[in-house]
Formats: sequence, C-alpha cells, structure tokens
Amino acid sequence: MATMLTPKDFATATPSWWCPGCGDYGVLSALKQALSELGKIPKDVAFISGIGCSGKISGYLHSYAFHGVHGRALPVATAVKLANRDLTVIAAGGDGDGYAIGAGHFVHTVRRNPNITYIVMDNQTYGLTKGQSSPTSQTGYVAGTSPQGNPDSPINGLSLALAAGGTFLARGFSAHPKVLVDLIKQAIEHEGFSLVEVMSPCVTYNKINTYAWFKENTYYVSDDPGYDSSNAPKAFETLALDGKMPLGVIYRDQRPTFEALTHLPEAPLISTDLDPRRPEFAELLKSYR
Amino acid sequence: MIVNDIEIMFGGQAGDGSLTTGDFIAGVFKRMGLDVYTYKDFPSRIRGGHTNYVIRAGERPDYGMADFVDGLVAFDLEAVEAHIEEMRPGGFVIFDNTSETVPAEKKRGDVTWYELPLGKMAKEDLGLELVRNTISLGVLGALIGMDMGILRGIVVDAYKRKGDKVVDLNTRAIEAGEQYVKQHFSEWPSGYGLRAKTDGDRMIMMGNDAIAYGALVGGCRFMAGYPITPATDVLEWMAKYAPRFGGVAIQAEDELAAINMVLGAAFTGVRSMTATSGPGQSLMTEAIGLAGVLEIPVVIVECARTGPSTGMPTKTEQSNLNQLIFSGHGEIPRIVIAPGTVEDSFYLTALAFNLAEKYQCPVFVLSEQALCQSKATLPVLDLSRVEVDRGKIVREPVVFGEYKRFAFADDGVSPRVIPGVEGGMHLAPGSEHNEAGVITENARNRARMMEKRMSKMESARADLPQALIHGDPHAPIGIIGYGSNRGPIAEAQERLAASGVATKFIELRTLWPFPEEEVRAFIDDAAHVFVVENNYTGQLERLARYVVGPLERMHRVLKYNGRPFRPIEIIEPIERLARVRPMAGAR
Repeated sequence: MATMLTPKDFATATPSWWCPGCGDYGVLSALKQALSELGKIPKDVAFISGIGCSGKISGYLHSYAFHGVHGRALPVATAVKLANRDLTVIAAGGDGDGYAIGAGHFVHTVRRNPNITYIVMDNQTYGLTKGQSSPTSQTGYVAGTSPQGNPDSPINGLSLALAAGGTFLARGFSAHPKVLVDLIKQAIEHEGFSLVEVMSPCVTYNKINTYAWFKENTYYVSDDPGYDSSNAPKAFETLALDGKMPLGVIYRDQRPTFEALTHLPEAPLISTDLDPRRPEFAELLKSYR
Repeated sequence: MIVNDIEIMFGGQAGDGSLTTGDFIAGVFKRMGLDVYTYKDFPSRIRGGHTNYVIRAGERPDYGMADFVDGLVAFDLEAVEAHIEEMRPGGFVIFDNTSETVPAEKKRGDVTWYELPLGKMAKEDLGLELVRNTISLGVLGALIGMDMGILRGIVVDAYKRKGDKVVDLNTRAIEAGEQYVKQHFSEWPSGYGLRAKTDGDRMIMMGNDAIAYGALVGGCRFMAGYPITPATDVLEWMAKYAPRFGGVAIQAEDELAAINMVLGAAFTGVRSMTATSGPGQSLMTEAIGLAGVLEIPVVIVECARTGPSTGMPTKTEQSNLNQLIFSGHGEIPRIVIAPGTVEDSFYLTALAFNLAEKYQCPVFVLSEQALCQSKATLPVLDLSRVEVDRGKIVREPVVFGEYKRFAFADDGVSPRVIPGVEGGMHLAPGSEHNEAGVITENARNRARMMEKRMSKMESARADLPQALIHGDPHAPIGIIGYGSNRGPIAEAQERLAASGVATKFIELRTLWPFPEEEVRAFIDDAAHVFVVENNYTGQLERLARYVVGPLERMHRVLKYNGRPFRPIEIIEPIERLARVRPMAGAR
C-alpha cells in the first residue's frame, strides 16, 4: 500500500495566472485537499476544463488534464468516463462556460447522469475578457457590454439542474475551505452527476459580489437541522426564495448512471479486443449476401 | 431486345413503399448475378411528396446512373409528369390507373405504356391496397423476364417474420401481376430482357453500412453523433452493432457535443468517430481544430448533401470539399480521404483509424448522398485486408518529467500516453504549449510546434490511399474526379472509347494532403483535362489548377442540381471538344 498522498502531490509546477485574491485559488486548494483525502492518485484523475479564468485550473492540477474549447467540458468529460470508468473524472469551468455558451451541454449532461463531478466557479462576471456581464450577473449589473445595466435576469444553475433531473446539487463558497473540501469529497463519491457550484469572487472586476457580500448574503442549509436534502420540492423552494443565498448540499438523489444505462461492457472501452478477424465480424456480413 | 442492362425507377409518394419495393428488385437483380446500383431520390419529409428510387442493373461493376430511365413504375400521375422526360426512347411505363389517367398530350409515343389498376386489384382482388407495390413487381418481372422464383424467394424472406398470412398475400400479389401481363400485355413486348448469371459469392450493401462496418472492424469502439440526413444510418448501425463488440454509440444533444465526446473518448485511448453532414460539419469545426492542436486521433465521416444552410437535405453534392480541407481558424494537419465505391467505403473507413492514430490528427472520410445512401453489389469484404495499427500509443508507465506528450520528433509524431498510465500526467491545452503541454506564447516554441504538427502531413503521404487510373493511361484526354462520380465517369469512358475517343481517368482517393505530384504528372501528360464534380465553383478543379498553375486546357464539368451525374453529361462536353479540336496525341 502506497503512502497517502498530500495536496502537494496534486500540484503542478506551472505558476498561476490568476489575480492575487481570486476566489479560484480557494477552489483549487479545496480540490487538491479533497482528492488527497479520498486517496486518489494523479494518474487516475482526468480533469477537463473550459475557457475563461476558471478554465486555467486544469493547468494547475497534476492529473490527466484537458483544456478544451469554450463551453464543451462536459461532453468531453462524459466521454472520458465512458471510455474508462476506472478514472475519476472532474470537469470545471466558470459561469459563462457552463451556463452561457455551454448551457445546452449542462442541461443534457445533468439529464444523462454520468458519474462525473462538475465544479462551476461562479464569479458572476466574465473576468478574462475584462469584466462583462455573465449569465449569473444580477439584473442591472453595469459592465462594459451593459453600460446601462444588465437587462437579463440571472440563471440559477442549481434550480436548472434540479429541473433537469440532477442527483447531487451543492453550492460552496471559496472562502470557506473546510466546507468546500467536504462538498467536493461528497460530490466525487456520489454515484452519478454531481454539481458543485462555488461562489468564487472576482476581485478585479466584480465590485458587487465581493467576499464581504457573500459573507453577508449566504447561509448554509445545514444550519437548519431539519433540512431534508432528499426533498425536491423543498430544494426548489430553497433555491427560489428571495433573500440570502443557500449553501451546502441542497439536493441529492440516486438513479442509474449514464454508464449503467448505456450498457457498457464489463471491461473499460479502452481495453476491448480490436482484432479485426473476430469471427463475429464475418458473421455480420451474412445479411448482406 | 436490350438484355441485362436496365434502369428501373419506382415513383410515387413518400411513405407508400417505393423504397422497399425497389430494394426487392435490387435483391432480385443481385441474385440473378447482375451488378446493381441504387439511387434514392426522396424528399426531406416522412409522408407525401414525390419520391423515387432508381435501380440500375447490368454487367459492369461501378455503376452510377444511366443516361435514361428504361422502365418507370409510376404509382401516380406526378411520377409520370416528373420523369417522363428522363425516359429512354423505347423504354416503358407501368402506370397505376386506378384513380388517375395519363392525359394524351403527356403520353410520349416513343415509350410503351402498360396501364393497369394496381390499386384496385390490390384492394378488390387481394383485400389490401398496400400490396399494389408487390403486384407491380409481378408485372415488372413478367415484362422484363425476371426470375420469378428468385423474386418470390426474396419477398417471402422479407415478410416471413410477419407470418404466413402476409407471405401468402404477397405471393398471390406477385402472381396476380404476372397473370395480368399474360392476359393483357402479351402482345406488346417491353423490349428488355434478363438472362441470369451466377450470383457467386457477392454482397449487396449500402454505402453507409459499409462505412459503419469498416469503422467497427477497424477498431472503432466509440461513436457519438447527432441525427442528420444522409449520415444518420451510420449512427443507427453503430448503435445496433457496436455493443456486441464492446463498443458504444451515443446520440448527443447536438454536433458540438458529439465531436467533443469523440475527442474525449479518443484522448482516453478509444478509437472514436462521428458521422455528420454539412450543417453538422460546420458546427464541429472549432473542436476539430482542437483535435488538430491536441494531436488527438479522431475520424469524422462526412456524408455530403446539397448546401448551403439546409439546402436540399436528401440530395447529393460535392460542395463540402473546401470545408473539410480549409475550415476552421488556424492551421492544423488533417487528412481527407474519399471512397468511390461502396466496397472502398469499407476499406477506407477502416484505414482512417490507422491514419488517425499513426499521425494523431483528424481524418475525414468523405462520402456523399449518391454513394452513402446507395446500394451496390460488391465482392464479399475481405477482413484479412484490415490491420489495426495504433501508432505511437503508450500504455506502459513512463517517467514523469522525462516523458513529454508533445515531444518534437522527426516525423512530427510524439508518443501518445493515455490517462491511467503512471507518469504520463500532463495538460493537453487548446492554447499553444510546449513539449510538456505547458501553455506558452514563446515565439520560438510556437514556430517549432507549428512545424512539428504540420510536418505530419508529409510523414503521412506514403500511407495515404493511392489515386487509381482508369482507362487508357496514355490517352490525350484526362478526367479528374472522386467519390460517387467514379461510376458515371468510368461508364462514360467505356462509351467514349467505343466511339474512338480514348480517355484516362484519375480517381482521387486522397484529397488532402492534395496528391500534388500525381495530379501534376497526370495533367502534364494530357492535352485536355476535364474535372468532373458536383458543385458550382469547381472546388476540385481549383485545387488541381493550384497545383499546376492556370491552364487553358483545364475544363470544368459541373453539376449542382442535387442529382448525380448521368454518363451522357460527361460524354457530351468531351465529345464536343474532341470534334472541335482533334487531338493528335499526348503533349
């Protein structure tokens, strides 16, 4: 038995491009902590990210990392899992990546319920392109592309996922590392699609949703000992209520995974026999005679 | 009498069974030992709208469409109106006059008319209107001398799952058609005859089935796609058969997801593909660029149809060649190969997976509606010709820090580790990166990485499918073409040769990297060159001309009405030129 790895074993030598104080640092360190506490090893972790400040995260996690095109991390991650179920597959990206350009894949991946984890690093702005409105920006948010105020209402990713049949929906805050590590661990261990939306403040462009704002405007559902995370109507209500933003595991459920319903063979796809001379191939041609 | 050379067209409304009926006929011709080509000309809707199915049979392989339709089986007046001009003088029409009659002015006098109440006979004599198609088979069979035993056998085989009653009904329907001909038409012979040969060990297969089968035999174990005409058959075939071989086929939410799934599975080490057509291809463009820069082996089957935009989804065209070769921002290595027959569709698709893994780049298999949805007779596919070569895939542990996923190499190809292998952890970024996968904008690295990736195109050349030369290799008149045009061009050549005009035809099976040397030598050695293709702008002609420079002796033969070439359309421009400028010989 190899010795247990530490978060450092999941670090790369690549220096970060994030601004000092960026919420994304908290997400990265919580992820490394969670993976090491779960006894994962880098060679068996596939980490797929999208585009944006958040998308850079794949360069900072020692793993098989894939930094794809904007908004398409989830289809890639789904297929990686189908191709090799022995891998721990995690996708990550920002609110723009997941809820704007990638919204279609988000809904459909939730529906499919592959056994992967999706971390949405939500800073409610487009950071890398210097501060435009995002799908989670509040209505009226003033930015370069919305000088008169953002006309759109924000998307609630968790409500959307719940409506689409999500089986593990959690929300964390990057400045609460201990809870975040726990949420990510639960998510990875969940058998099915797990969503962890992390409120991850942009210290450079978002002057509204700051660390102080989140401390003031959030609460944990677990503060109420009677909160039942298996109750979907209650979860909808919790997510929809005006006022403080709920954090923690909002909803969890169990249903068969995509891998199970796809009737994958026993062995991972990567190890199937590719011999073109298998007799069954010749057999197949009989109906064309 | 014309023996063993016939083109039959079934025309009616979509959903009324013309396709099934046509397939029966194709099966009969095949079992009678003839070579068969079929062409589906159906509307982009499920029920209603004129549809037709063409079945050509004869004694030469690689058929396309004939110049004319010999026998039209018209289930309604619309079919007559739509196709009477395409009839060969001396041909014949079988017309169902149950509820419509052909007005005198539309009755061409140079074809024989067999009018009978197919629908009424089906309903009143046999009790089911649906079997009028089967009655028409009996009529057609009797008129052209089809082997009725074979016809009965095929119909019985097709319906036996539905029970004895259905089998009996259809057998009686064939009989009724045959009897009607004997009683009413015996005085007017059709002018066509069939003489059975030995069927031998042959198959009849649709192009898309050959592509899917080639993929599976070639080691494809992951497919993701989104339904789109005329490529959907490939996804359906794989969904049915891949699981038997430890594979999976996924219907994605759109083409963006489909291609990104293919990248994900291929990155993980599974031979993967998608199949799509023009509009889907457009959506996949960005991710194909990613596959290029990440050096991920993916196979993309393009079943081309008429564009732009929605175009004519069920009609054929060769207008996506530029797209496959040039689409996307930035520059990536890519390979485009194009089979010219159903048989070649199998071998080239199987080969595509080797090319993709050996050169770690996107490989396009280009087919088109007139080939991928057409059936043809072919020799039994030879599985022993398929080899699986996975290139520089790495499954054994490597030393972290020493191993570099994008290492510079003489052939441009770096050893490719797959997730799960000890020591191989790295970042695969769509951003420019160094040998280890670390993102960098360093100028020197950028230049070397471009050179490394693009050099794979040269490394691949020796492995690419060779062009085929058909006809007289020393003829002064050259023809360049690819894909479904192989059939009509080859036939045009035979007929030109018979009238004293010798031609040579280079069938390109690799379109990118463009086979410059072969094409240059071919053109240099010809007095005149005709480039035959189904598009408006002469996409292939431009590529060829780019190689050799502007030349007066290059001529375009273009067709862009959504229908495949008929040989006469290739023969006429060549004959016209041969008349005006008689050629002494090759330059």
